[in-house]
Order: sequence, then structure tokens, then C-alpha cells
Amino acid sequence: MPPSPVTIPGRDRAAIVDELRGLLPRMESGAPPRALPFGLPALDAHLPQGGLTLGALHEVAPAAPGDVPAAFGFLVALLARHPLRPPVFGKDRAPTNKPVLFVASARALADHGRPYGHGFHRLGLDPARLILVETQTAKQALWAMEEAVRSAVPAAVGGAIEKLDLKTSQRLQLAAGDAGLPLFLLRPAHTQKTGAQEAGVQEAGVQEASAAATRWRIGAAEAARDRFGLVVRTRWHARLERCRNGRPGEWLVEFDHAAFRFSLAAALAGPALSRRPDAQPANLRRAG
Amino acid sequence: MPCVAAVNAAAEADGIRVGDTLADARAKTGSLQVRAADPAADDAALKQLALWATRYTPAVAPWDETNGADGLFLDVAGASHLFGGEEELIADLAARLVRFGLPAQLAAAATAGAAWALARLRPATTLAAGEERAALAPLPIEALRLTAATRRTLRRLGFRRVGALIDKPRAPFAARFERELLMRMDQAFGRTPEPLAFILPPPVYHSLRYLMEPLVAREAIVAVVRRLMQDIVHTLTRDGVGARALRLALYGVDGGVKSIDVGVTRPTRSIPFVARLIELKLERMTETAAETTAEPLDAGFGFEAIGLAITAVERMEPGQAELIDGFDETGAPGWLDERCAELIDGLAQRLGPRCVRRLAPVASHLPERAERPVARNDRAPWPASDEARPRPLLMFARAEPAEVMAQVPEGPPRRFRWRGVLHGVAKAQGPERIATEWWRSGASAPTRDYYLVEDEAGRRFWLYREGLYARETVAPRWFVHGLFA
Repeated sequence: MPPSPVTIPGRDRAAIVDELRGLLPRMESGAPPRALPFGLPALDAHLPQGGLTLGALHEVAPAAPGDVPAAFGFLVALLARHPLRPPVFGKDRAPTNKPVLFVASARALADHGRPYGHGFHRLGLDPARLILVETQTAKQALWAMEEAVRSAVPAAVGGAIEKLDLKTSQRLQLAAGDAGLPLFLLRPAHTQKTGAQEAGVQEAGVQEASAAATRWRIGAAEAARDRFGLVVRTRWHARLERCRNGRPGEWLVEFDHAAFRFSLAAALAGPALSRRPDAQPANLRRAG
Repeated sequence: MPCVAAVNAAAEADGIRVGDTLADARAKTGSLQVRAADPAADDAALKQLALWATRYTPAVAPWDETNGADGLFLDVAGASHLFGGEEELIADLAARLVRFGLPAQLAAAATAGAAWALARLRPATTLAAGEERAALAPLPIEALRLTAATRRTLRRLGFRRVGALIDKPRAPFAARFERELLMRMDQAFGRTPEPLAFILPPPVYHSLRYLMEPLVAREAIVAVVRRLMQDIVHTLTRDGVGARALRLALYGVDGGVKSIDVGVTRPTRSIPFVARLIELKLERMTETAAETTAEPLDAGFGFEAIGLAITAVERMEPGQAELIDGFDETGAPGWLDERCAELIDGLAQRLGPRCVRRLAPVASHLPERAERPVARNDRAPWPASDEARPRPLLMFARAEPAEVMAQVPEGPPRRFRWRGVLHGVAKAQGPERIATEWWRSGASAPTRDYYLVEDEAGRRFWLYREGLYARETVAPRWFVHGLFA
């Protein structure tokens, strides 16, 4: 007996599809999605809901192995941004300031030293909020991140991890979605490796699969200085490599050490300067 | 001259007594097997047995030298009813000891001294309070835990039974003998309290369950912990305290005891929280030994009894537990701290206590000394950062040497080679001069000049030159101390 198309009396097939399509985003993220905007219209326009989705996994990777500190700095600035409240340092700090967790396996950051509390101030994160978790293995780091996210105690969770397979990233993404917390992962530089280098396990040209909502590729850039030559704003080449429900893009992002906010250096640097000579535009099209 | 320290039943049948010289003993029987006495091993075995015996009551004291060092006191007050009485408890204990292959002599009495005497000379008796006098009177004076010298003197004076000593006036004895005699008698008859040295300090709050079937699975153990905590919570609530430290004791079928200590940063009465901590700790212990340094948990043939003791308590405001469910983060500031403490405790149980830390500032000029890790939940206020003195985001535990080319020896670097890579310096900010803290250590280290250096790729480094040129050294060395974002 040939299968006959199912017909629902009184309802148009197109209308049903539209309705189902409308349900899709809600099913994906569970909780009503909220977002963490950068405060930069040009950048936020690329992101769904005008900002980084809270309750999602975001990856930050350095453009080159030497850019790990830059990528870590970008991650810390993002960690500090949530909740969106101007940070107040000192004794009159609001008592309900939620902690921020950073989880790293002993090997993940070993080549680049260890987080230094006095340096966190410059990126808007009060070191008193910071809880550092150092694990012996990557497996424990994953567990600690998931545990921290599921507890919903911290404002945001950051982590550094070497390897991440699709299943694990889905697990973390799910945990972040359930708790409504952003989870920022610092990845090593070589996640961009092409198929030829990844020894035939993955198909050519396929990036490491991940369930992350966004992946940022961060490179160091010449800092903005005042007329005395002092660094006033850190700059990063920020490339949004992939973004679920958004568009990839590339910006020269600044972070102000006094006002603790992001700004764009595009007007100052110009589009030609904002792209590094070694960056390949082909990656932009492939991402997403 | 070697003497016999202990004999087994067969040797005793051949007439060998403890205290015989070895030559005498060999003469009495042809096929004597001799092993060297090992008091340390005996002591360890007795301790092990004492730990096991805490399954009956948390107050267990192994006998010391004055008691003969070959037995245990169990303070079963408040515990015997769990078995239906002292006789039943003794029967249960005897049955289990027989299964371990330990022939034991057991007795119960209202005083430790009387129990000791009965266990030695009239085993398997249970004495009600107040009957010590009648029960001990017909026993020989060995029942009184006296030193050999005292016993010899008493025998020479014609005292053979305890009863002969009981109603004698005290003064002549006090004059003639050491304090020991009267003290032992008073202890045996309950006129003087006898402090016992318990193997574990008996906890105030304690709960124990005997299981019908031995447990092996972790989930089952956690389920029992939940029930044990349920038993304890009422008393904790009544006394207005919360647990700061807990000890879980797992009594194996084979007589082994595993005890697991758990500490928490804030007093707690929460059943699910305690169960979760225990679960995490057990997980950590069962994890493969290669991954962690913790001792593995070996269930063996299973655990037949599980006890939970609260070893440290702290005052806890009443009603705090109810707040956790009722208020959201905006309602109660304490809520967040409490949840945060729970999270940190959980992570620390699973990963090890040193893996979770916060940073606290230290008033020091030296960057590597300006902060220290603090355990757990202490939040220290940090001073605001000084824009003129930038500090890196990542710092090396040991500053790494770099080869630097500078235009002038006391000037900023022009190029530097670090980890084999040559970096051209685009901009350098500095120097920030940091002198050594001479009041801290006797030997004075050279002064450092720190530069925030940006290379041509825009990466920022924190370099310092060690030693003031021409004043402290002629060949200053350079180091990379940290990395900026």
C-alpha cells in the first residue's frame, strides 16, 4: 500500500510548517534566551538577539599559539561583563556580587604562566569575585565546569581545555542552556587545523565539530596609547568565526581599562589595518 | 633470657604458661614452634580491631599497657538497646569475633574495672550496676589490674581474694601501698570515675545502621548516608548547630574499616548537600588510582554497617535552611554565599582541597609576592588597580630569562629573544622600578626595572632588568615575568 500524505483538515501545510519553525529556536535553548551585548551596534548586529547568548557555550581561540594571553584576556573581559553592571571595587562593593569561576586543567595554561589577580582589574573583573579551579586532568575540568554551571551560583564560568569532542560540547551547551549561564571556553590555537593535518579522521576542510554558539578567534593588536605613551586601551583582532543564528565578522575591538567597556577601533585603524596579513578570508565563508 | 609471651591452646594443653623461659617450655614439649613476639604488630592489630568495634559504639578504647594491652573497652551505654540488651550485644560480638578466628573473652559491667576483671576471670558474664562488690569478692586479687610487685606484696601479707580487701580500713593500705591499689579498687567498684582513652573522640552526634545485606555500590552507600543524616538532623536542629566536619565509617564484612572525613566551609544541616559531598568523595576515591593521588576505596566483600558522625559543629542560625528554597538571589544576600560555599565544597571534595582557591592580595611591592592563594570561601577586598603600574594577566611562577638587545644598558629593550623566538619591540612603557624588600630577607636581591613591552605583532610582555647598571652590576640580566592580554 503506497503511503498517502497525511492531511489535517482545516489547516494549511505551509501554516503548520511556519508554526513548527517558530517553535524551533525555543526548543533548542529551553529557557527564554537572553543576551549579553557588547554595547557595539556594529558587532551586536552580527549576533542573534543583539548579543552573546546567555545560557550558551562560547569558544575563544587564539589566532596563533602566541596569542593565548590575548584570547585569555578577551575571555576574562567577557566573563567580567556578566551581569551587566559597572564594577565597583573596594569595600562598598555590592554584597550580591556573584562569583566567577575559571576552571583549567593543570596543563591547559601551563606554558603561559598562571592567572595573576592584580591583572584582572584591568579587564574589569574584581579578583575577589574570582574562584580558580585547577584540575589534574581534562576530564575533571569538564566535570568541574558542568558542576559549576549547573549549580547556577557563578555569574559566568570560564574554562581552558585542550580537547573537546562534539558530544562533550553538546553536554556543556546543554548545561549552560539549562542554567542560563554563559560558559566561555579557551581553546588552543590549532582547532582551525584543516582536514589534511587532522590525519584523515575528519573530512577535508571540516573544522573541529562543536555545539558552541559562537567561536571567536582572537589575535593581539597594537594597543591604544595616550599622548604619554601609556597603554589606555587593549586591542584585539576579534574574528567571529562561527555564530549560530548570526553572521560571522571581523573587528578590531578595544577594551578601555578605565571605563571597562568595549569599543571599536575601526575609525582609527581603518579596514585595511584591521585585517592581519596572515588571516584568510576564506575561513569567514566556511564558518557558521 | 627469652620468655614465653603468648601461647595458643595446644601449647597451653601441654602445660606451657606465659612467663616460662624458653628453655623450660622446650623441655615440656618436644615439638614447640617459636615465633618472635612483635608488640608493634599486636598493637596495630588491636587498634584495627578497636576501629572495627566502633560499629557497636563510637566510644571504644583499646587497653594500654597497665590493662595488659590485649583487649578493648566498649562503652555501650546507649548502644546496647540497639541489639536488644547487653547479653545480645555480647553474643553478637562473640559470634563475629569467632568468624574472624579470634577467641575472645567478653564481659559487661557498670564499671570498666569490673568488666576487665570479669572478662579475664569469669568470661561471658553480664553484671548489673551495684553488683560489683558481690561479683568481685570471690575473685583472686589478679582481678584488680595491679602491678606484679603489688600483687606479690599482697600475697605475702596473706591477701588472696578481692573480698579480703574490700572492707578493710583504707588508711593502712594508703600508707603501705602505692596509690594504685586503692585507685583500682575504687575504679572497680565505681567510686572513682575512670577516664578511657578512646581510639576516636566519640562524637556528640552519631548515627549508625546495620545492613541486612552487605553493600558494595556507591549509590546504595549514598542512600544510606541520606537516611543517617536524616536521623541526625533533628538533634542538630534542636541544638541549633550545623555540621562543620563529618566522618563516614564503612564497616567491611572482613573486619576492615574505611573512614572518610569530609569538611565543609559553612555549618550545614542539609541532607542532600551532605549526601552529595559524600558521593563526590566516594567518586574521587573510586576513580582510577593513576589519575588521582587519593587512596582507592576497596569495597571488598561489601560493607555490613555504615556510621555517620558529626565530628565538629558550629552554631547555626535557626531557619537558615528554610531560606535556601524560599528566597531568590535578590531576596537574601546570605543565600548566595551559602550556595557558593556548597559549590566550592563540592568541587573540593571531588578534586582535592588544594584545587579550588581564591586569590587574596598581599601588601608587597614584589609582584610575585603581592597575592596568595586562599582556600575556600574567604573573600578579601582588593585594592583598585593603578593605571600607572600595569600588571599582567598571566604571570610565570619563575621569571624566564630572555636575551635582550638595548640601545643603552639602562634603557628600554629594542629586541629580545625569549623561548627561541626573536621579538622586535614596537613600544616599551616604563621603567617601573621595584626594589627588593630588604626587611624581609637578609640577602639583598638586585633592583628590578619593569617594562611593558609590545612587540611588532601587538603581543604585550612584562620584562624586567635585574640589577641597576653600573651600580649593582655591569651585565644586567633580563627576564620575562608575565604576559598581558
